[in-house]
Amino acid sequence: MAKYVVFHGRGIVKGYCKAEALVSAKPISFLGDVDPVTGKIIEKRHDLYGESIKDKVLCFPHGHGSTVGSYVLYSLAKKGLAPKAIINYKADPVIVVGAVIANIPMVDQIDIGKIRSGDLVEVNASKGTVKILKSAEG
Amino acid sequence: MKILVKLGEIFGASRLIPIESVHVSGVSYKTLGEAPIDFLEALADADEKVSVEATLNPQSFDPEILAERLPKNLVEMQLKICEIFDRLGFQKSFTCTPYYIKRPSKGAHLAWAESSAVIYANSVLGAWTNREGGPSALAAAIIGKTPDCGIHKAENRKPKVAVEIGASLENEVDYGALGIFLGKILEDKIPLIKGLKNLSLEDLKQMGAALASAGMVNMFHYREGVEVKEELEKITVEPKDIKKTVAELTTTSTPKPDLVFVGCPHCSLREIKKIANAIGNRKVRSDIEFWICTSRPIKEKARAYVSKIEASGAKLLTDTCAVVTWTDKLGIKTIMTNSAKTAYYAPTLNKAETILAPLKECLKTALKE
Repeated sequence: MAKYVVFHGRGIVKGYCKAEALVSAKPISFLGDVDPVTGKIIEKRHDLYGESIKDKVLCFPHGHGSTVGSYVLYSLAKKGLAPKAIINYKADPVIVVGAVIANIPMVDQIDIGKIRSGDLVEVNASKGTVKILKSAEG
Repeated sequence: MKILVKLGEIFGASRLIPIESVHVSGVSYKTLGEAPIDFLEALADADEKVSVEATLNPQSFDPEILAERLPKNLVEMQLKICEIFDRLGFQKSFTCTPYYIKRPSKGAHLAWAESSAVIYANSVLGAWTNREGGPSALAAAIIGKTPDCGIHKAENRKPKVAVEIGASLENEVDYGALGIFLGKILEDKIPLIKGLKNLSLEDLKQMGAALASAGMVNMFHYREGVEVKEELEKITVEPKDIKKTVAELTTTSTPKPDLVFVGCPHCSLREIKKIANAIGNRKVRSDIEFWICTSRPIKEKARAYVSKIEASGAKLLTDTCAVVTWTDKLGIKTIMTNSAKTAYYAPTLNKAETILAPLKECLKTALKE
């Protein structure tokens, strides 16, 4: 039986999903960095520039900047453009509040440096676990 | 309430504490968007009311100056948002510098959103507030309390990293650049910034606003005599770090902007006086707009300078700023500003090219010789 890599963190907003990971080494400000109309990263200096966060397991270190970011997450969710789950190294209030009102499963205290974009991951935010089901390299 | 309990659980609060005031973000229709309006309306329809002093961030236009230049549907949606906040009992302050209208008491607990006001309140004014998300500040306004966590606890307000300034900082742009540079590397570690000399409160405002834009940190120490018991991690800021950051915040080589914008964060009375005096009898160039943004109460207090500014052709706007209005719909493609925060956000939020330059240069560009 294949052995999966499992990370244990802290569940913040409950929920479960299986989806492709999109991993950033940089913090995200949902106001400014993300286009609320398309769900794409529009900040040119960002390492995910041009990527869509829709239906991804979005992994980034923490939030930064504008406190309106919580509402942007809510808008994205209402339009079906939100990530399936949010994984942080360190949660901050702006992202937490956004995930709560948008009901996006969220886990923090995860070493996101060990997850790669394209990995198929399973998030169980009720238990606070993130499991790599299939690595991007196959 | 669910929002506040969740925050408390996550950040280790055992109780909710009373707060002196609330300041909410997410007022401009441009940044808020359409979806959260239902969320706000549901609160107002349930007859919820604020239970403490509660102020609002800027909205998307100055009703007297910009409203007629913007598409009608956008103006109507903004008025709807303002009406909802009015029903909830908020003061129509529409400013990112509520501390110029009423300074919070030293040591008071607050629940403020607007990252630039949060960092200024904690670091300069000595009040205590976390960097709330827009909705959690709103929830705190209604119940009059906030979770006792984060930097509401004295042990979390201590510096974690010592920053030595090895560069000479000449003006507000250099201070803003310092903020952007540090914001990117500090994560959530509160800095003790050493070697800041001869800086004004407005320089601190610029530095803090930039620090909070690029980073997650919501406080800095800069006064001498801060007690440090443990060995701190050290960072040295070199002249090249400041120079490079300033250069990166200018995205175009064109010397002529469509808009020169001063007042991010909103101008103090002192800044308005300084600008009015510097303008003198000069006039704004006909091919450039010059905006100076502040709050309504400060404009009232500045009446003696307002006529001088307006005589030049510059516009003294209240209730809004360049970042939260639709500059692209006003035909503005390039913005010159002395605010590192604006230069940081404008490429995405205004789809504009930016020129970051100190006030002196902004005035030189905007005015005829």
